[in-house]
Amino acid sequence: MKEVNKNVLKDAALRLMFDMKDEEYETLLNEFDIIIKQLVLMDEIKGLNDIEPMSFPYIDESFNLLRDDEEIKETLLNKEEVLNIAKNTKEGQIKLPKVVN
Amino acid sequence: MNFEAIIGLEIHVEMKTHTKMFSSAPIKFKAEPNTNITYLDLAYPGSLPRVNKNAVINAIRVCNALHMEIDDTLYFDRKNYFYADLPKGYQITQQFRPIGQKGYLEIDVDGEKKRIKVERLHMEEDTAMQHHYSDYTLLDYNRAGIPLVEIVSYPEIRNGKEARKYVEKIKEIVTYLDVSDGKMENGSLRCDVNISLRPYGSDKFGTKVEVKNLNSTANIEAAIDFEMSRQAACLLKGIEIHQETRRFDELKKETVLMRTKTEAADYKYFSEGNIPPIFIGKDFINRAIETSNELYDQKLERFLNEYKLNEVDARILLSSKELSIYYDEAVKNNDNYQQIANFIISEVLGYLNKNEIEISNFNVKPDDISDLVNLLIKKEINSKQGKDIFAKMIETNKSPLVLKEEMGATIISDPEKIRTDIIEIIKENPTLPDDYKNGKTRAQGFVMGLLMKKNKGKVDPILANKLIVEELLK
Repeated sequence: MKEVNKNVLKDAALRLMFDMKDEEYETLLNEFDIIIKQLVLMDEIKGLNDIEPMSFPYIDESFNLLRDDEEIKETLLNKEEVLNIAKNTKEGQIKLPKVVN
Repeated sequence: MNFEAIIGLEIHVEMKTHTKMFSSAPIKFKAEPNTNITYLDLAYPGSLPRVNKNAVINAIRVCNALHMEIDDTLYFDRKNYFYADLPKGYQITQQFRPIGQKGYLEIDVDGEKKRIKVERLHMEEDTAMQHHYSDYTLLDYNRAGIPLVEIVSYPEIRNGKEARKYVEKIKEIVTYLDVSDGKMENGSLRCDVNISLRPYGSDKFGTKVEVKNLNSTANIEAAIDFEMSRQAACLLKGIEIHQETRRFDELKKETVLMRTKTEAADYKYFSEGNIPPIFIGKDFINRAIETSNELYDQKLERFLNEYKLNEVDARILLSSKELSIYYDEAVKNNDNYQQIANFIISEVLGYLNKNEIEISNFNVKPDDISDLVNLLIKKEINSKQGKDIFAKMIETNKSPLVLKEEMGATIISDPEKIRTDIIEIIKENPTLPDDYKNGKTRAQGFVMGLLMKKNKGKVDPILANKLIVEELLK
């Protein structure tokens, strides 16, 4: 398992576009220490890797969750609403700095 | 050293539904940018995805056409990545349990059939359309959320031609099923190619190169053939093949490096918590299949057996789904199947090709073609008049029966009237019978020309020819 140290946390924070104070990193490192110890404990359970993650334990077969293919006008956003949330727009589109070649 | 190419294709097909995969935003081609969006498409807090029933039905129909095992429960997962083309921060897809698995597709390459195994088909949502300019990018979220099926082949394709045939077959399936318009030029069908080479006889795979941005089946073939030559040349010179993504430069007809892949992207897939597994059951699947449109091969069989067309004509009429529907409509109340096929192939297609018009934009109704062919068969008009009426139908949208009256298009088939005219012509040109008897057969054409001139082209030509010969031999 990759060691979780301050550099790893700083790198993660940078990727998520925020930074923290030194004492916050310390708090987080302490929390990770506890979490990792617990995970190591769980590793001792035999055959753990053969068990599939259980997201939804029950499937309700009596209820059809599919949606009819129909437009619901009330949920449609108007163009101004959409463009208002963007910093920059151009020709009715959201303008971003180019990040790919 | 000879190399063998190992090619796998990933095809994304945009489905033709009214609304998006997980939101009720409408799908309208060429709509004003950023006008077909709901809360979910922009990831507003609290908005939840709901699966589009028609998208599922479409996916089932494609799975069935590809002879796949179809899952009776739908599972969705999140593919996590941070990029502006999907505001949620993830794409909803079916990573762990695709709706379709273990299928195959049969292609015909130079008369030989080859079966390509299809690994999986899954449903997912499209991303926003990006328009890249020199130093900025514009985003249109109308496309974000459009239902897609992704069809992944096993790496069993060996050259550009096979790949082209495979994609053409997929395109044919999705268009005949009416699942998609399948237009590569519009991005409704997109294809990524994975290609590597290995020495013949080796069972190890070489380093894989991905080729993107292929917007026609001809480009797929050209890109693969180029890439096979490029990789072979590198390997023979001892140059290592790098794992990279390339694009096809249409002008230079070669692949160009886009980016090098340092490591496989980790999308940290996990189950989509907002969509519980949806049990659709066998009945739902069977209904979707039973109510499905005819596939190309089924339609071909019907055209050959029911309409008794020859295979060449049948395949011309099936060259587009719309044309095959047009023909079906034209023969609905008229069993002159071959004559109608002949007229559509020669006259209708001739006109459409010359004027670069699609059959879907052709203004003449199939019923009117049926009526026009009837007039020809019953010899109420001759072929020249038929052509004139057809031209007027295109121009005026009027029915052939109305135009026949308006244009005074009748045919003279009274043998006595025709014979009297022929006798008169011969009388004015008394050397004709001897000329004819002495082998100058053009005398017959000469009489026909004068006869048609006299009657403004309205004489039944078959009957007239018979009578001309009789009179010239007297």
